[in-house]
Amino acid sequence: MSIRLAGDLRSGNVMMVNNEPMQVVKAVYNKSGRNAAVVKVKAKQLLTGRVTENVYKADEKFEIVMLEKKDCTYSYSDGNNYVFVDGEYNQYEIPCEDMADQARWLCEGMTDVCEVTFYNETPIGVEFPQTIVREIAYTEPAARGDTSGKVTKSAILKDSKYEIQVSAFVEIGDKIEIDTVTGEFKKRCT
Amino acid sequence: MRRRWDIFCAVVDNFGDIGICWRLAQQLADERAADVRLWVDDLAAFARLNPAVSVADDRQQIGLVEVRHWSRDRFDPHVEVPDVVIEAFACELPPTYVEAMSCRQLAPVWINLEYLSAEEWVEGCHQLASPRPQSSLSKYFFFPGFTPQTGGLLRERELLSQRAAFDDHAASEFWTRLGIEPRRDGELRVSLFCYENIALEPLLKVWQSGSEAITVFATSGFATQQCARLLDHPLEPGTKLQQGSLTIYALPFLTQPDYDRLLWSCDVNFVRGEDSFVRAQWAQLPFIWQPYPQSEETHLTKLEAFLERYLQSAAAESPSLGAAISQCWQAWNGRGDIAAAWLEFSNQLPLVERHQMAWVSQLDRLGDLSNNLADFVEQIERRRLVTHHSSAL
Repeated sequence: MSIRLAGDLRSGNVMMVNNEPMQVVKAVYNKSGRNAAVVKVKAKQLLTGRVTENVYKADEKFEIVMLEKKDCTYSYSDGNNYVFVDGEYNQYEIPCEDMADQARWLCEGMTDVCEVTFYNETPIGVEFPQTIVREIAYTEPAARGDTSGKVTKSAILKDSKYEIQVSAFVEIGDKIEIDTVTGEFKKRCT
Repeated sequence: MRRRWDIFCAVVDNFGDIGICWRLAQQLADERAADVRLWVDDLAAFARLNPAVSVADDRQQIGLVEVRHWSRDRFDPHVEVPDVVIEAFACELPPTYVEAMSCRQLAPVWINLEYLSAEEWVEGCHQLASPRPQSSLSKYFFFPGFTPQTGGLLRERELLSQRAAFDDHAASEFWTRLGIEPRRDGELRVSLFCYENIALEPLLKVWQSGSEAITVFATSGFATQQCARLLDHPLEPGTKLQQGSLTIYALPFLTQPDYDRLLWSCDVNFVRGEDSFVRAQWAQLPFIWQPYPQSEETHLTKLEAFLERYLQSAAAESPSLGAAISQCWQAWNGRGDIAAAWLEFSNQLPLVERHQMAWVSQLDRLGDLSNNLADFVEQIERRRLVTHHSSAL
């Protein structure tokens, strides 16, 4: 635990606000009057996932916590939780509702190494590698003509049934690369 | 519901803090029927602004407002916390008082009243919450400003009608009361309220050597001190000095109502900081602003941000108006040749005045800061009530 001024907060920092860990998404510093300054902070409540925007005096002090992170792989879902396993076969359950949008990248037998974040020894979130490979379960055949890749169409991912926009030339059974940060199709794997 | 308000004011320097807090306190009491306690840490500064204030009394009633003296380190822990707490300009409340706030059954609405700025970022921070790192309390930031996305400017309900009623006769009575000679034909009257300013020396020279008679009313403090130094002549309050075309009157310290009358009686007003800057706008006459000097030239950013808003419609009124105003303001703030800029500005005074009238009608549509603030407080209270009821169900 360390102390940091609001004016020194950076995205990724986890600050404690009324005993709740808040991860800074964005912090914008502005000079107000008489050499004072304010900081507008967009932060995610790590226990609820709620994102809020607040403002602080730049000299406001916050406790900063370092979160523990472990490399894990996805194992299975029991309907209420997603279960991840670390290298020593310890299992960690993350409630389905806490995974939110991240759940769309989960699939049976996936081998992607994810980063599970812990707060007070409780797993509170999962970060996927920036690029993952998934198989297309269904997509309409491409319309003839444009082969530039600029024309897109909908496709359904295997297992998660998540719908994603892909280039028109992508077909059923193809494996594609996805950017997990933007949630967008990157390219078809060769 | 008659709300009880505490306004905390720390006098850092000059009279801007207490000037603004006093206006706010009076207006809330007068127009919102609020019970207002104004906590001031420097009664001597307040007493200069308002002679009714006694420096010896830690607790006194001035008009509709209860005035209390406070110090951060020695604060009575038994003071009852009211419904609304205003922390003016992030002045930091006494720790014992904050503790009492968190013990209150229903926490008060806690507002940090911020500084005035025309910068765009203000709109994004106005009315945002600021949850306390170490407690369940939350305060809200409230920013004055020039757009509907901000809190507007301080303006008493009757100000514009009082201004409209202030005619030549009223002005002449005001001058007589101050012991100042009646206005001469063709004379330009200028009020001067500024911080230390390097542009003042060349400006005084232009005024001395010009063909037009200029009378400058130097306010007590920096303005009078600099004029005395630059003209190498003592200037006591109430005295007059003439050099070439320039006549300077050193004014005594004016009360807020008299400072308004001064602004309304002059042809051009040089103002500074926040409070006089706002009053000069409501005066509907040409004015030139010196923002509070800050490190890294932040004040120049604030100057530019205001000019951008203020001059948005100027080009449509006259092609050269915007440039004349902008160059003069910039030069007064150390960027450019004030002698040339003043001549261009003073040549366009009728147009500047017309522009100022249009600007004021734009500002008037924003409502006023005190009432906007009181409305925001009610909005938070309603929101809390809804949350309280839904969590009870």
